[in-house]
Order: sequence, then C-alpha cells, then structure tokens
Amino acid sequence: MKDLSVIHVALAGNPNSGKTSLFNELVGTNRKVGNFAGVTVERVEGTLIHKNYQIRLIDLPGTYSLSAYSPEEQVARDYLIFEKPDIIIHVIDSTNPERNLLFTTQLLELEKKVISAFNIYDEAVKSGIKVDENKLQILLGTPVVPVSSRTKLGINRLVDTIISLYEDRQPMVRKFHYHEFVEERLLRLSEILSQDIELKQAYNTRWLAIKLLEHDEQVYKLIKDRAIWMKAFPLLTAMSREIQYHFKEEPDEVINENRFSFVKGAVQETIVFSRKRKYSFTDILDFLLINRITGIPFFIISMWAVFQLVFQLGEYPTRWLEIAFAWLGEMVTLNISNDILKSIIADGIISGVGGVLSFLPNILLLFFALAILEGTGYMARAAFVVDKVMHSFGLHGKSAISLITGLGCSIPAFMSTRTLKSQRDRITTLLIIPFMSCGAKLPVYILIIGAFFPVKYAGTALFGVYMTGIILALLSAKLFKSTIFRGESEPFVMELPPYRLPSPKSLFFQMWNKAEMYLKKAATTILIASLIIWLASNFPKNIRLHQSNSYQIKQTSENPYLLPEEKVSIINEIEAKESALQLKYSVIGRIGTFIEPVIQPLGFDWRIGISLITGFAAKELVVSSMATIYSLDKSSYESTKTLQQKLKNDYSFSTALSLLMFVLIYVPCIAATTIFHREAGKTKYTVLYVGYTLLTAWTMSFLIYQIFNIL
Amino acid sequence: MTERITDTGQMMMLKKLSEMKKGEDGEIYNILAKGEIRKRLIDFGILKGCQFRVIRKAPLGDPIEIRINNFLLSLRLEEAELIQVRQKL
Repeated sequence: MKDLSVIHVALAGNPNSGKTSLFNELVGTNRKVGNFAGVTVERVEGTLIHKNYQIRLIDLPGTYSLSAYSPEEQVARDYLIFEKPDIIIHVIDSTNPERNLLFTTQLLELEKKVISAFNIYDEAVKSGIKVDENKLQILLGTPVVPVSSRTKLGINRLVDTIISLYEDRQPMVRKFHYHEFVEERLLRLSEILSQDIELKQAYNTRWLAIKLLEHDEQVYKLIKDRAIWMKAFPLLTAMSREIQYHFKEEPDEVINENRFSFVKGAVQETIVFSRKRKYSFTDILDFLLINRITGIPFFIISMWAVFQLVFQLGEYPTRWLEIAFAWLGEMVTLNISNDILKSIIADGIISGVGGVLSFLPNILLLFFALAILEGTGYMARAAFVVDKVMHSFGLHGKSAISLITGLGCSIPAFMSTRTLKSQRDRITTLLIIPFMSCGAKLPVYILIIGAFFPVKYAGTALFGVYMTGIILALLSAKLFKSTIFRGESEPFVMELPPYRLPSPKSLFFQMWNKAEMYLKKAATTILIASLIIWLASNFPKNIRLHQSNSYQIKQTSENPYLLPEEKVSIINEIEAKESALQLKYSVIGRIGTFIEPVIQPLGFDWRIGISLITGFAAKELVVSSMATIYSLDKSSYESTKTLQQKLKNDYSFSTALSLLMFVLIYVPCIAATTIFHREAGKTKYTVLYVGYTLLTAWTMSFLIYQIFNIL
Repeated sequence: MTERITDTGQMMMLKKLSEMKKGEDGEIYNILAKGEIRKRLIDFGILKGCQFRVIRKAPLGDPIEIRINNFLLSLRLEEAELIQVRQKL
C-alpha cells in the first residue's frame, strides 16, 4: 500500500451544482474537515484508492467565477492557482449547462487538466436535456463525463477518467480563443509579463494578462510593485482603450461576451433541449411559497419549524446527556473519598464535559435544518422574502436565519453565519446575535419577572424583554454598518436555485462535518474555560470556616436532645450558610464584591455582582448562585418561590428592571464566546464583542434604573 | 429614462431594470454598475442582449426576481437601478 502515487484533484463548480454530494459519493467517510488557513471557510478533503493510485480530493467552495470577492471565492481561486492540483473536476449542473460552462471557460484559461463532470444528469434527462458527450468533448478539449450522485451514474467512469487523464502525458490543448483583436493583445501583454522570470515561473502569464484586462484588483496588486509594471502598464492602458474603441464596450464585458458566445455555440451544437412542460416544479412551488400573500407567513412558519426541530426536539437528547453525566458524577462521588478530588472530578471535569456535549444535539439539529433549507433551495428564497427588512438595518436577508437561531442558543447561531459571504455582514451579524435572548436566559427572566410583576403582566413583561433584545440587535447592526463596517455590503445579486430534494447522505455529512468541527476545534477551549470558572467559584476555600462548621455539624448530630428531623434541618441550614460564605470567599466572590462600586449605579449589590459573574459560565447559573448566596438550603428551593420572596424583600422594582436589562444584554456564556472567537477569527473582534455587550448592558441598565428611580 | 430609440426597425423603450413591472419582458442594454455588482452580473453571463422576464417582486416590494439565461436571479431595486434595459413597444 505504501507505494501508491498520489493524484491531487480539486472539485470546483457553481454553488448548487451538487458538487458536495458528488464529493460525498466519491470519498464517503474517508475525510478530514478543517479550515482554510486564515479564514473561516470550511475545508473538506477526502481520499480514495483506485488502481495503485491514492486520489486526494478537495471540495472547493462553490463559485460562479474565478474573480475573487468573497472569502470563499478567494479560497477556491487561491487553491487552483497556488496549490496547483493535478486535475480539476468541474462539476456542472446539467440542467443549466450554459451558465455552468461559462465557468469552464475560465478554468480552461488556467491551462490545467480539467474534467467536465455533467452532474445531476438524471434530472437533466428527465427534463428533456440531452448532451452529445463526444462532440462536446472535442469542442471543449476536456473529457466529458455525465454523472449523478443520486443514481450513482458515471461515478466509476469518473474515477477511471481521473487516472487516464493523469497518465496522459500530453499537455492540454486550449480550444477556446478570444476574438483575434483581443487574442493578439493578450499575446503581446503576456510576452511582456513573461520577461519577469519569477512571475513566469509562478503563474500562467496569459491568464494574468486576461485578469489585468478584466480589472482584477488582486492581479493588479500582484504586479503593480514589480519592475515589469513600468512596461506592462502603458501597454495595458493603451490596449484597454483600443478594445473599448473597437467593440464600443469595456474590456471586461468584451472578454465575457467572448466566453459566453463560445459557450452558446458549444451548447447549441451539442445539447438538445426539449422542454416538456410549460411550468416547472420550481415555478409552481415558488408561485405557492413566495408570492405576495404567502411569502412572509410561510417564512415565519418555516422558521418556527426550524426552531421547534432544533430546540424542542433537541431537548430530549440534551436531557439524556445531562442524566448520563449526572449519573457519572454520582458514581465518582460514591467511589472517591477525598473531598477535594471528588469535587474536582465530579463537579469540575464531568460537568464541564457534560456541558460541552450538551450543546451538540442543538448544533447537529440546526445544521440538519440548515442543510435542508440550503439543499432544497428555500434558503435563498427566505433571504429574498425578508431582505427588505434586514437591508434597512444594513444586513443581508440571510442574517435573519442566524438571528432567529440566536433566540435558541448563540453557539449554533454563530456557526450558522458561515452562510454569509461578505466578511462585513458576517462580523456584524456575529456581533448582534448576543442580543437575541438565548434559551438559557429564560430561567433568569422567569425568576425576576415572577418576583416583581403581577402574574397578569408577566407574559407582557417577558415579551418586552425579548423585543428589547431584537430592537437592540437591529439598531446595533445599523450602528456597526454605518461606522466600523461601513462600505459596500454584499450585493443581493443571487441565484434562486431550482428546488431539489437533498439526499440523506449529504444531510448526514453536513451534520458530521459540523460536529467534527465543534468537537475538535472548540470543545477543549470551552472545557478549559468552564473549568477555570468553576475553580474560581470554588476556590480558595475558607478552611477555618469549614472546620468550625464541621464541628458544629458533628455536635448537632451527636446531640441526644434533638429529633432526627430537627438534626437534618439544622445541619442543612449550617451547610447552606457555609456555601454562601464560601462563594463569597472564592475568587469569583471577591471579584463580585470588588466590582460593587461599578454596578451600584445600576442598583446592584455584591450579591447580584457575584451571580452575574457566575453567569459567564452559563446563564442559568445566575439563578442557582442567587439561591446559594441567600443560603437557601439546596433541598428546599425546589420551588423558586422562596428565592423570589427574598429578592422582593431586598430589591426595588427599578433594580429588577435594571437586572432584567443587564442579563438580556451582557456577554453570553464562555462557551458562546469561545465559538464567537473561532468564527470571527480575530482577537480584536472578540474584544469588541465583549466590550460592546458589557458597555451597552451597563448603559441601558443605568438609564433604566435611574429613570425608574425618579418616576 | 424613457427615450425612444430605433433598433433594426423595432421601436424600443430604454429604461432601468428597476422600473420594469412584474411579468414584463426585456433585454439587457447596458450595465452601469461598478465593482462587485458588475462582476457578479457578468459572471452570471448577464450581458448586453440577454433576454429576461420579471417574475415577481418580494412580498415587501424589494428585491425583485427575474428569469434570465435559463435561471432565476434575485436582485435589489438599488442594484436593478444600475442596469439599463430595452423593452419592445
């Protein structure tokens, strides 16, 4: 097995060309998921072995051309140009050969070995499209292989073609030429560029010449600082002017018109269309789902369904995981005698790992839902339907889906922003997701609202909290987009792909990829961070307090005048008091006490301070910390009533409102922050995110508290 | 922009894509957009002479959806404003 020679193959093609399904069909589970260096674009590689060759496939992000605007297009282009794969498989959606072949012409310009894989061929045949492979093969100068990942048509032939093309020593012959007026100039420009030996060795100079005529900014930047630019630039300017004068059009248009007419000619000669029906399946579904009346209601229904699937259905596996980990913790407690070690393993490590895994069901289900939305073609339509609203706040229609997910949990929401192509749109969406109140904050709201609002208004108050979050999110988007992320946002020039049924295999692999990503890249960081917070809230221990309490407990239990029930309640009381004092004694307790002057203007005291800080570990902990601080016996606060009573006695209504506001806005839990950092990719964004949420929380709470105090 | 021009004997009306109504047919005449929008349009093969039909507007009136080169394309009105089209009279 060791002497296999390796063939590097890149899969390239338009989005929605079934590229990833084909990739899945070729490599199955034999894959590796990661990120492209420096950007958060998923990189999926796989291998297959055939006839003494190890074929290494990479699934490049879907692109419409080789011009690079989004990070994904950039990655695809850089890979094709710098990494120099042995073979490029161009995956073509056979139901729309014209637009897909336009990309082929661009790939041919790289003068590499290309295979044109006519994918989704079964569907194309059904809709009356027939391709004369042999003739097209001659016209394009590339092998043409009809394939279908659904029916497995042509898969083996494709693999055989990879090998025969690799073994074929003949260089590729370019069959596509521009208008001779252009071709002549390209030749001259590329000859000049070839004088720069370094450039000539690293690139195909004819390709560089084409890109220069197309005003490709990156190629400009690449050559601008080289000595050869002194010669190339005057020539380029003159040529652009000549071409414009000759064709009465800009050079980029002329070049693309040439490509397009080549494609049109090839299609006309080799592909027969016999349209069978007047209206396609897609036309009918669109007519039903995105018309003026049903468009928005159907959007709301589908988002509701996604939400139910992810968070309602996801609750079962999450609960099972919690039960399993609680059981594991108990086993440890029973079998380890050392108190501190017991606590570290059971409460620290096991509950930490459990915490990390408890997000997994939601992540899997969300990506399952997103894969369905994307795979069926509805995602683009959802964006189409709500884009006007989102765009008025400077966002893209697709941001809506991430924001809605944020109402469940920020972690999958952050991860879902990868569907946004523009970096500015993405970072802005990432920054405002925390304002979408996540599920873990609900117990906190219920506690506070229950304590301070009459039952009649509780629902309205809760609704008010969520709405405040949404409004803040949208206003913040507007703020970011008109200040730090100002500039042209991603255009909405977007394909609405035909509706298709995604294959179970592709749904499965989408989930698989995300799960692997989450567990490999984020889990350890989250685990370490939650361990640190756990340590900080449990240590240092006040040993003297513990000793004197132990003594008291011992005395109580040995007291012959007390009934057993009395003993239990006295001991519980002593223990609860100790927990409260120990929490105050711990690092987090000290921080909470230390920041009291900062949060006093918000109506908070050190007790709230400590609770809020434990909320960094997980938002629902705010409630249990409050209970601990109030020395509530752990066995007796099964109902939150006692705690609510205590809160009501100690705090004013304006403090309650201010606290609601603060919990709504301030930094999400440490796990979410870790994922944010992974997704945003730069430390400065994480600093901005922490700073912005804290500052907004403080300001809003301050205003609320001060205003309601005056009223 | 409603100037009338003659082209191979056919009376044509020049307007912006954003001014076209649902169900109307037209032909791309000139892409005034610059930068990324222009690049995207050209990458989709949207060039002078391409025939299209306005399929619908989004429920809130923006963006719009057109059928062109055998696929469905959505674009915002502010983007459609940068595309000149011709319509048969």
